[in-house]
Amino acid sequence: MPAQLSFTGFAWKNLWRRRLRTLLTLGGITMGIGAFVALVGFSRAFEHEWQRLYTSSGTDIAVVETNFLATALNQDLDAKLEAVPVVDKVSPMIFNLIDLTPDVNALVYGWQANSYELNSLNFVSGSRFHDGQPEVILGNLLASDLKKKPGEMMTIQGAPFKVTGVFHGGSALEDGAVIMPLDQMQVISSMDGKVTAFHVRLKPAPAGENYDAYVKNGEKEIEAAVPGVHADPAADRAANNGLVSLAHSVAWGTSSIALLIGILGIANTMAMSVFERTREIGILRALGWKGWHVILLILTEATGLGVVGGLLGIVAGWGALRILASLPQTASVVSTAVDPQHFIEALLIAIASGITAGAYPAWRGAHLSPVEALRYE
Amino acid sequence: MSSPIQKGPILEARGLVKSYDEGRVQALRGVDTVIEAGEYVAISGPSGSGKSTLLHMLGGLDTPSQGEVYFRGSQLGTAVNLDQFRSQQVGFIFQAFHLLPTLRAVENVQVAMLALSQRGNHRAERAAQLLEEMGLKDRMLHYPNQLSAGERQRVAIARALANDPAILLADEPTGNLDTANSAHIMEILRGIQAQQGMTLVIVTHENDIAQSAPRHIRFRDGRVES
Repeated sequence: MPAQLSFTGFAWKNLWRRRLRTLLTLGGITMGIGAFVALVGFSRAFEHEWQRLYTSSGTDIAVVETNFLATALNQDLDAKLEAVPVVDKVSPMIFNLIDLTPDVNALVYGWQANSYELNSLNFVSGSRFHDGQPEVILGNLLASDLKKKPGEMMTIQGAPFKVTGVFHGGSALEDGAVIMPLDQMQVISSMDGKVTAFHVRLKPAPAGENYDAYVKNGEKEIEAAVPGVHADPAADRAANNGLVSLAHSVAWGTSSIALLIGILGIANTMAMSVFERTREIGILRALGWKGWHVILLILTEATGLGVVGGLLGIVAGWGALRILASLPQTASVVSTAVDPQHFIEALLIAIASGITAGAYPAWRGAHLSPVEALRYE
Repeated sequence: MSSPIQKGPILEARGLVKSYDEGRVQALRGVDTVIEAGEYVAISGPSGSGKSTLLHMLGGLDTPSQGEVYFRGSQLGTAVNLDQFRSQQVGFIFQAFHLLPTLRAVENVQVAMLALSQRGNHRAERAAQLLEEMGLKDRMLHYPNQLSAGERQRVAIARALANDPAILLADEPTGNLDTANSAHIMEILRGIQAQQGMTLVIVTHENDIAQSAPRHIRFRDGRVES
């Protein structure tokens, strides 16, 4: 059987005739998709870990002032919150991102020693802290990073603290966190009598009642009982909190720029290719190729670049995520488990990028006059 | 493979005018001609006389500024779709061969068939058969730059025949060839025309080729001279 020529085979030969240009173009789209997979994957993993932070401890609602990062509520509101009929438990808390060493920063929580949230932690060694004492417990990732064990001392914001325990939490964020008594956290944060939020666990939903509707009702009851506060479902707080929003914004912004560069690379390659092949397109039209055949050929080439670049980008981005997950600075916020949906999205974006970038060159190629194209030198 | 020859006019040009540069340059100045099915016609004339422009219009590659071209009584561009006409009814042969440099000889022939819905193995078999008929059995997997000028033109003829057209339009097919290759190519074209009853229209500036055709149209200044 003599060599068969297929439509895609023809497109491939057209791309491969300019190997260096094709490889450079692939490099561009690979970078764009790789950036998307790594950065957006990073921000989604961050959000996911944040959600687990709430769900693992059984928190249903976070009560805050207006802005999750800058919020400061009076601690004595806890009595009012506990009086709301639907509320089971209330945990006042402070959290902040603090530099522990020049290389390591960590989320630092202030909880009361009797907080229900402590019940969700599994102690690997040592035990809980005590209210009123300069004591801390460390997530196992952070303890390993800082090489600290129960009984040892560490300095936070210039003050000495004794490590009383090392725990494994419900999320990577907790595993990389420090938790200390709320009163100690109020001192080092200069928030005497204040908290950043109250985490609220609701009483079990009545049988047959939809959980979301039950939480929604809980929010209304809390906001009615305690004017001036926002009660948000824990999952929403995870998605909307300032750090997660910032991570999403940076990830999407950076990825979009990288993708735009990749798209422009493909567009440039395809425009150059159509320009160089003007006479060849004229030959194809003379042989009876319809305009849409030419469009299909050029879009196949552009989409091929997108697909191959996308697949390479997915591999590169996933590799970058794995590296981030193994670095001490980022291990606490990045999980190696990535939702396959994320890779599908990346591939669809790569295909869409190829089609977008090839659209104008394809249109131009299809609208060349056959006789003019044949005359083209 | 060939469809039965239908007698009567296969191509008809009526009052063809082609002007460029907002009418300041006229390549065709009112051309009327009728080409019968199965006819072998040579069109000759000096450079710039409009003979290639006429050939392009007869083949649906270009459209006239005024006038019409009819294929079997139906007007090109209105009753007859130009893309379909070029892919199914016409085979073009060019002076510069116009083979695609990235494709092997056998693939160049198949390119013409990609526009039609044919199975891949059928395309490959048909291309191989045509190249074999052109005496290129051993050159099928060669790229155009590995072929001589005469071989390239034979690949181009095979490509023109790929979709079993009713009409072969050849624009200076021997213009880039030496005497021996010219004679060989003309022998092939005449053979195809005679054996398959195909309509053959050749544009040439070579008198011996023009005069060897049963019908010879002389062109001058955009008009049929005789």
